[in-house]
Amino acid sequence: MNNFSLNPLGATTALVADAPHAPDYVIKLTDIEKVYQTKTIETVALHNINIAIRKGEFVSIMGPSGCGKSTLLNIMGLLDEPNSGTVEIDGAPVKSYSDKTLARLRNQKIGFVFQSYHLINDLSVTDNVELPLLYRNISGSERRKRALAALEKVGLSARSRHYPNQLSGGQRQRVAIARALAGQPEIILADEPTGNLDSVMGNEIMDILLRLNTEEQTTIVMVTHDELMAKKTERLIRLFDGSQVS
Amino acid sequence: MIRQLFTLIWNRKKSNFLMITEIFFSFIVLFGVLSLAFYYLNNYQKPLGYKYDKVWVMNMRWNQEKSEEIKTIQRRLKQQLNSNPEVESITLMSSNIPYTANMMGTGFDYNNRTVQTNVFDIDKDFARVMQLKLTDGRWFNDQDLNSKYTTIVIDQAMRAEVFKNEQVIGKIIPGKSGEDTGIKIVGVIEAFRQNGEYSATAPGFFKLRDVEMDSVHMKGSLSAMLIRIKPGVASGFEEKLMKQASRIAQGWTLEIKTMPEMRTSYNKVALIPLIIFSIVCGFLIINVALGLFGVLWYNISRRISEIGLRRAIGAASGQIYRQFIGEVLVLATFGLLIGLVVALQFPLLQVFGVQTGVYVAAMVGAVIIIYLLAAACAAYPSRQAAIIPPATALHEE
Repeated sequence: MNNFSLNPLGATTALVADAPHAPDYVIKLTDIEKVYQTKTIETVALHNINIAIRKGEFVSIMGPSGCGKSTLLNIMGLLDEPNSGTVEIDGAPVKSYSDKTLARLRNQKIGFVFQSYHLINDLSVTDNVELPLLYRNISGSERRKRALAALEKVGLSARSRHYPNQLSGGQRQRVAIARALAGQPEIILADEPTGNLDSVMGNEIMDILLRLNTEEQTTIVMVTHDELMAKKTERLIRLFDGSQVS
Repeated sequence: MIRQLFTLIWNRKKSNFLMITEIFFSFIVLFGVLSLAFYYLNNYQKPLGYKYDKVWVMNMRWNQEKSEEIKTIQRRLKQQLNSNPEVESITLMSSNIPYTANMMGTGFDYNNRTVQTNVFDIDKDFARVMQLKLTDGRWFNDQDLNSKYTTIVIDQAMRAEVFKNEQVIGKIIPGKSGEDTGIKIVGVIEAFRQNGEYSATAPGFFKLRDVEMDSVHMKGSLSAMLIRIKPGVASGFEEKLMKQASRIAQGWTLEIKTMPEMRTSYNKVALIPLIIFSIVCGFLIINVALGLFGVLWYNISRRISEIGLRRAIGAASGQIYRQFIGEVLVLATFGLLIGLVVALQFPLLQVFGVQTGVYVAAMVGAVIIIYLLAAACAAYPSRQAAIIPPATALHEE
């Protein structure tokens, strides 16, 4: 039995007593196939993907545009379902989970960082960072405390009352990272986090991610086009036409 | 979550201004319609004070006859018509009969205060014909016909308005001149709402003017005859009555109507403002509903990437649905708060003299309707937002 439950404090616990794999793999994809089908065209996005990511690992995914990197990241982040194959989080397959359980799993285990930041312009920086915590049973003051702590980690405490459109691209991405960190996730999935930034700001963001990985043992999976950024990670997975080539 | 919804709507107040304004105006119009409806309902539940069924009204228009001649003819008319086995009782009254727009009023002076009251000139059989309910004292009797004072019977509304908690039975209000010997109150009736069920209760009193009175006590004439007929009498009896009356009151113009008929047509007219107002309000509400639906649809299509983000960070489909419904309700709350500030002025300033309870009921009703309308308009677009796959939503820019 692989089950997923919440303890009284709201923290996620994987019940993996009889799971076939030891839970040192936080994400495990086995024989993943993903096909997008329209009335006339069938597009294979991912074919026979087998990836296992250990706890505390920093993995980058590279490949040309349209090779399925973002689709792979979406499947890892439980935002999309494969047509076949198994997705396991902490050793538990997620196939049978309801929408509600998947949402709770995303909220408590996974933090997302996107290339285009996905900040809500009508909310202040702090309110943006608090967003994941709104879907937990946490008091307003505790949410604020955690949001400010996350902003401090990315060096943006001074901008907590600003709005996203008052910030530079690098600052916005740091807010997005703070938002991912506010929920204290075990995994961060970053989809081209430096893609919209110049090299200086890109390096700043990369430094933050590296520091999170080394100091807090946060597992990070990052999609990137930048070879230099990829070289800074522990492991590189290359995709080509939906297949894993290394 | 609620705090953030308010923050989000407040920060988007410029783009939401039109919708808040629409909700505000809808609330005000709805408040107006409901105030009118509750006002009518409130009046409808109060006692009418008389029974109109089985009462026929004969309006009389005479020619050049003198007052004494008219009185003689009316006395004969009353006797003749009353002799019909189909007739239960007959009375004469002034032209301000129930369910007509005819009014007779006076300023009633008491304790240095003048209160506007209705006056009904009637004969001593009026209470029997209209089946009035006496709550204190007595109805007019033969002793009152040639009394030193002008005897009157008042209604409860007049008692409350003019005399408050004073003992009124037997009270004599002195006249202002030597000829005017004064007024004596002999009884109190529950109510007499001349303008029907939808009208407000107004103070009024009955003054005895019987055809049996001598000319010193009765000047002028009463122009309407009210006839209570026995149950089961067919409408064909009207023709017989008319023939009998025409023989006695030769040359007079006589017209018979049943009081239920008069009531139906009078109440229809009374309800016209409510009907017109409701139609206008209905169109406005439909317009607002379509507007709300359209704006929400547009807003949601603009916010698909936000929906994707919220799904990614842990919102389940149901939470997205509830968030959008919640946003519309918060938006409605802003419009309603402004509307309530305006609406509250009506009971505070006692506009139109309507009871506070009527305004409060209208406010509560309008608030509930606006919330239901907003939630109904938001339901479908919110459902569509909730079922967008998160991966698809995230790639919308």
